[in-house]
Amino acid sequence: MRTEGYRVSDIMTCCISNMLQDNETVFHGVSSHLPMVAMKLAKSMHAPDLVHLNIPGGVNPSSIKHASYSSAGADLLGTAEAYFPLEEVFDLSMRGKLDVAFLGGIQFDLNGNVNASVIGDYHKPKVRLPGGAGSAVLIPTAKKAIIWRVKHDKRTFVEKVDFTTTRGNLWKIVTPLCIFEYRKGKLHLESIHPTSSLEEVRDNTGFDLIYDEIKYTASPTNHELAMLKKIDPYDFRSIEF
Amino acid sequence: MKKVKSLKDAVNLINDGDTISFGGNVLHRAPMAAVREIARQNKKSLKLVKTAGAQDIDLLCAMDCVESVDAGFVSYETKYGLANHYRQGVQSGKIKGNEHACYTVICALRGASMNVPFMPVKGLNAGDLLVKNDYFVVVEDPFSGEPITLVKSIVPDVAIIHVQECDENGNAIIYGPKFEDILLSRAANKVIITTEQIVPVSRIKLNAERIDIPGFLVHSIVHVPNGAAPASCYKKYEVDDKSVAAFIKMSSKDEIRAYLKAYETKDYLGERMGRRL
Repeated sequence: MRTEGYRVSDIMTCCISNMLQDNETVFHGVSSHLPMVAMKLAKSMHAPDLVHLNIPGGVNPSSIKHASYSSAGADLLGTAEAYFPLEEVFDLSMRGKLDVAFLGGIQFDLNGNVNASVIGDYHKPKVRLPGGAGSAVLIPTAKKAIIWRVKHDKRTFVEKVDFTTTRGNLWKIVTPLCIFEYRKGKLHLESIHPTSSLEEVRDNTGFDLIYDEIKYTASPTNHELAMLKKIDPYDFRSIEF
Repeated sequence: MKKVKSLKDAVNLINDGDTISFGGNVLHRAPMAAVREIARQNKKSLKLVKTAGAQDIDLLCAMDCVESVDAGFVSYETKYGLANHYRQGVQSGKIKGNEHACYTVICALRGASMNVPFMPVKGLNAGDLLVKNDYFVVVEDPFSGEPITLVKSIVPDVAIIHVQECDENGNAIIYGPKFEDILLSRAANKVIITTEQIVPVSRIKLNAERIDIPGFLVHSIVHVPNGAAPASCYKKYEVDDKSVAAFIKMSSKDEIRAYLKAYETKDYLGERMGRRL
């Protein structure tokens, strides 16, 4: 997947980083290495006063280099400025003071429904998924909810989800092929990654694409790629690929 | 009252059908030695409660100890993949998977800690979780007339929490992330502490303001060095990669029984040290 010295994981990390603004309070959960790196990148580039929150409660960890198998480990507290545990992060979001939350999911549809729960019937599922973790309370309450998913195929982007773990108030969905933005109740194709094409996105999406014009996601800059090497030397951002 | 017990005696306090909540989060500071002992004692029909669980829930599901799981997330993290025993249990209909939103587990435990039957929860206002689960109800806020979601309180019969330091009276200090453990200790009817170290009363008293769980809330204490392994324990040890990776590959109960057997010496180590004292 290497094109001109960067990979899809680099594009996803950099475009997510560029969605984050200075002074925002931003939270990521478990199994969330890519957004964790994106947050650290934003903080090292254009958003030095971004507030990094996480499950172990480490506010602004100075390093994310030791979070190898887990983005919920004690290392994020070990190098932090302060302690602010998960239950308080949730309370913060309920008070309307969490700016951005990163969440996952397995299936998404055109109408912005998110499934992280089951394939098939809820009570006797064909596939029991890990569960939405905080999604069902954070997506409705965070000011901006960003979803990332390293799979983009017709089983992921479907006409109708099997189960609605949560819906509404999504902001962006970032995939290995493109970025969707949720507007007026629908997912709109915002931009296509330079490593992909309209045909590829169309062929791998189970609903008709909505877009005004074809735009491409910005390629990572040399500065960003150099910074990624420094803050994420073990390439945790690619762990899900 | 002597609170320090053997692992066997402490786990023997659990009855079939009990609601059990474990401390820690995913593969961090989960009370794994106690979990293994629950499996060895073949407890049945347990109702497990945790915001985000991993091997603790998966192992007990594998050994048919579980009736239901109330959790926001049950999976290993990226590197180790999915909790397959839990999944298969739910998919076959043997285990009831009660999905929460992590925060709703927290609110259900807060309800228990205050001895109220339910807690209002902001945020959870759309989607099928509200429709499919009887522990969520949307009512009209009597003050504003707006809809508000309630989550039914969950009172664990037993909470099991692994800590780094505890004295013989149960005064416990958690180093690093505390996750939901302090709340858990206030919500459960009975608290069992497993601890890396039992420290002298006089020493922990010097740090009285650092105590996370005061002894009067604690029913039983078990000395289990490495009691969270193969999960991590801050300042003590990291995840035991080999053990977790080996477990993930196991599919038969016999394999898992051998895995439990292989841990016996380590899990009962604290007792032998205790007898020498």
